[in-house]
Amino acid sequence: MIASRDRYPMILATLALAAVLMIVPLPSWLQSAWPYWVALTLIYWSLETQDRITLGLGFTVGLVLDLLTGSLLGLHALSLVIVIYLVNRFRARLRFFPPWQQALSVFAILMNDRIILLWVISLRGDALPSLDFWLPPLVGTLVWPWLFVVLDRFRGSMRLRATR
Amino acid sequence: MIRGNVGTGTRFSGSAGQTARLMLYGLIAIVLMAMDHRGQYVPKVRNVVENAVEPVYHVVEWPFRAAGNLSEQFRTRRELRHENEELRRRLLAQQADLQRLATLREENRRLRALFEGADSLEFEYRFAELLRVELDPFSHLVLIDRGSDDGVTVGQAVIDGAGVMGQVEDVHLHFASVRLISDPNHALPVQINRTGLRTVAFGLGETDRLVLPNVPREADVRVGDLVVTSGLGDRFPGGYPVAEVRTIDREPGRTFARVEAAPLAALDRGREVLLIRSNVRPPVPPAPEASEAPDGAAASAAGPTGDDAEAGEGESARPDESAEAPQ
Repeated sequence: MIASRDRYPMILATLALAAVLMIVPLPSWLQSAWPYWVALTLIYWSLETQDRITLGLGFTVGLVLDLLTGSLLGLHALSLVIVIYLVNRFRARLRFFPPWQQALSVFAILMNDRIILLWVISLRGDALPSLDFWLPPLVGTLVWPWLFVVLDRFRGSMRLRATR
Repeated sequence: MIRGNVGTGTRFSGSAGQTARLMLYGLIAIVLMAMDHRGQYVPKVRNVVENAVEPVYHVVEWPFRAAGNLSEQFRTRRELRHENEELRRRLLAQQADLQRLATLREENRRLRALFEGADSLEFEYRFAELLRVELDPFSHLVLIDRGSDDGVTVGQAVIDGAGVMGQVEDVHLHFASVRLISDPNHALPVQINRTGLRTVAFGLGETDRLVLPNVPREADVRVGDLVVTSGLGDRFPGGYPVAEVRTIDREPGRTFARVEAAPLAALDRGREVLLIRSNVRPPVPPAPEASEAPDGAAASAAGPTGDDAEAGEGESARPDESAEAPQ
């Protein structure tokens, strides 16, 4: 328990980095495919730590993200709460999936998130988005294994430093 | 927000608790969204809290700005000389246009005095730069680096070198957010420059299309027509180019043709913008013309580039109230 408590700053740091990645200026072709970094990071931490990632944390992070990106207040909060709920619910299974199966589950979670976003967009009466609306979950799935490895490395190095 | 005692209860109660909390947070989020959308309380609070977010924008922007500066440093003398020449040529062309504009303006003023017309407007331009920050693609907002400290006010029109971009929606201390004309909830009073036909341009949620849904089916509209602001509604000053007509769909049996136009402003890639402020001026001060001329010239030189020539040509066909607008 004590070990997992010092993990908290580490989690927040990676989340902050992910949030910054969401607003980095990009060429437009990349912009439409840019994955949902915050969700991916939260999925990782939610899988790897027992109970650090609560729905409340997701909600708070989501609100901050809403402020940062100028989206409807509560939009990212809703989406992240649902993502975390799903991961927490199926964590026991997800953790021991082989990588490709895990990536598929991540894809399902991200797609679900897109569908919720679509629902909000249509409630607002905005024009329905074009096909590349569905690109970010795809790219997110492709990025997932690499992100997993990177974050694992990062966590490992942090743990080493903590024990030393 | 951090709960300490997970896993102490039975498995069942834990997951039921999760679901209950999911419902609760979901409900709060939906209520927040609804309130934000409807504009009750939440936008005000949000406006204050967003000031706290500002440093993040600067952090994100910094490397890109630094890279830009660096590449500026390493530009060769030749490139600079080239650009200098190009700019000088353009300035000359625009000054030629301006000379004509000055006489037109004078004529317009005399006519106005003859009719004891309404107060004429004078415009002030203020330079601003977009913050290099990518917001939610569905928000149709951009951020500019000027805020209430620089005298930006809500509702100010924002243009770039080619046309109208949008209007200021929220003003913070050092930055402001601008709602683009491509937003599906944005309506812009416009007119067809060639005929003076007035209509309204709506955003479609895409940065390369606007729609003019209320053009009568038999109206004289052609592909390639310039769409300019009409100045009705008092938000946007009249006469600024907005878009170019792309497609006209005259479906038989409908009262209105569906006209689509492509915005002239670089909505998705522009960097430098101008904020317009209009000051109502007491009608017709005849004397200080001489002292005013250089001032006006400076303002227009910084203003829309392609605008002046077209406005000059369209002058005779245009209704009177918008004739003074390009200045």
